[in-house]
Amino acid sequence: MANQNNVSSVAGHPTKVALLGYSPWAWLGAIAAMSLLLVWPLVFSNKFYITIGTMVVLSAIGATSLNLIIRTGHVSLAHAAFMGVAAYTCVLLQLRLGAPFWLAMVAGCLASGLLALILGPIVLRLTGKYFVLVTFLVGEIIRMIFVEWQSLTGGSNGIQNIPPGLDLMKTPTGFYYLALGAAVLCVGIVWRILSSEIGRAMDAVREAEKLAASGGVPVIQLKIMIFVIACTLVGVYGILQTYLVQYIDPSAFNMEASLNLVVMNVLGGMYYLLGPVLGSTFLSALPELLRGYVELQRVIFGVILIVVMAALPGGIIGALGALRRLYQQATSGKTT
Amino acid sequence: MFTLPILSQVLVNGLSLSAIYVLVALGFTLLFGIMRVVNFAHGAFAMLGGYALFYAYGSLKLPYPIAVLGSALTVASFGLIFEVLVYRWFYQKMFQSMIGLMGLNMAIVFTSVMIWDVNERSIPAAASGILTVGELTIPLDRLVIMGITIVVLIMFWFFVTKTRHGLAMRAASQDVEIAAAQGINTTVIYRLAFFVAIFMTALAGGLYAQTYALSPFVGERPLMVAFIVVILGGMGSIPGAALGGVLLGMGESFLSTFYGAAVSSFVSFGVVVTLLIFRPWGLLGKPE
Repeated sequence: MANQNNVSSVAGHPTKVALLGYSPWAWLGAIAAMSLLLVWPLVFSNKFYITIGTMVVLSAIGATSLNLIIRTGHVSLAHAAFMGVAAYTCVLLQLRLGAPFWLAMVAGCLASGLLALILGPIVLRLTGKYFVLVTFLVGEIIRMIFVEWQSLTGGSNGIQNIPPGLDLMKTPTGFYYLALGAAVLCVGIVWRILSSEIGRAMDAVREAEKLAASGGVPVIQLKIMIFVIACTLVGVYGILQTYLVQYIDPSAFNMEASLNLVVMNVLGGMYYLLGPVLGSTFLSALPELLRGYVELQRVIFGVILIVVMAALPGGIIGALGALRRLYQQATSGKTT
Repeated sequence: MFTLPILSQVLVNGLSLSAIYVLVALGFTLLFGIMRVVNFAHGAFAMLGGYALFYAYGSLKLPYPIAVLGSALTVASFGLIFEVLVYRWFYQKMFQSMIGLMGLNMAIVFTSVMIWDVNERSIPAAASGILTVGELTIPLDRLVIMGITIVVLIMFWFFVTKTRHGLAMRAASQDVEIAAAQGINTTVIYRLAFFVAIFMTALAGGLYAQTYALSPFVGERPLMVAFIVVILGGMGSIPGAALGGVLLGMGESFLSTFYGAAVSSFVSFGVVVTLLIFRPWGLLGKPE
């Protein structure tokens, strides 16, 4: 059966044999990746590698949630600020009011979602460059509030020695599995949205907003809904990241952090869900492995960004797709 | 609180801030208006202007006018390398330019960190005296900043309105294809506009670093300023950049003197966000 599908995909009908619309190869890849993620802490018992794994799966939450917004045609530079709103809410609820962690975490995510619900209807009326600029400024304003509201947030020094919220967080392996669970849940939610009718409506809005509106898509409501969902999900990333480093300060939620999430999307390929997953793996593992050369790696990232934007707007996925088409052209050229 | 000496101080500070802001924003708006690139690497060139002035004036002890203009010219000539290597790919591609030039910004800033480390340096002031007129006291270095800016702005105005190349540049900013069809060499015009824009940015960066302090991260504030000013005035509008620069400079000087720097930042950001929502094309821009 796999052989049959292989033949058909070369002939240009790739979706004849497919489970839920995906080829067996995609399923095989997903299962392989999932098993690698599951056994990762068992293979590498070194604490350093387990923590890198935790950071990779956590950043996948951030990058895929931003991907939701990007799919509606908006690039938000305030995403890290929403992360910060959730993280500060959660930490403060737990430390100041003694709320249990789960409750604080849910409240934190809801707080960033609520803020998105308030700001969304205002900023989402702008498109293109104006949206990028307004989210850039909104993100800066939120970050300045973290810095200036010293009595609550500790100002630019932040809050140190945040105690683990759960027993699971006390060991690196426990934290890893917690993060993996959260990531699978969040990426799963994003995947489900993108592959549903809502996802198709989002594609329509991105490609031709007026046409979509005249076809009956409630454009602004859809955008707001997606924005709120994405900002709620990125709250999970913000909170778990904060508890991982046990320290919170405004610099973790600045423009550069938002930009990192954009870079993950751009590098991986913005218009496929796999793109941000690949991009986040690359961009959060590499800095940790190149710890000694912090400046140099920033320079390299910068150059990569330039090259990708100038030559490969589709990112890694786009480049792979182009290679595959080239390969197919070459093979079909041989047979005919 | 609102006495004459204090108000005059606010006015002088505001004008010298405005001068720097107008220079930064003019370069930014020129790049946007003609090439449709959102220059996220603007602050990096301002920072390079600061280091160039540091060496020209601080180390080589060149006479001040030569040092300040020469360092900006050096950075602008050096910037042409980036025009050929990087910017050329992003002309007329607004979205790609934003992300790609953020990458360029990162690359330049962190290369500078590797070369000059992160410690702050200071550039000696151009003049240290104080001019006293009746009750008013004006620091001479602020006057120097305003003087240089006014000279450069007059030169820029003369270039844009009275020369053939300036005319070609204005034509290209209105419609590139029609301009090219009239026989204007757009490659040359782009390069010229780029040179002028980076010259003004580097000059502003030098003056800014001299007023405050110099480090590889000194460009963050000018970049932010360029955004705010250009949104205020209208993206791509040259009079808009001038108006926005003066509004922001005076507003910031007034608010931060009487209510503190935090209030001043919140107000300027808040105003710009509001403006973006209700009038995204800015005060003097044209809706698309």
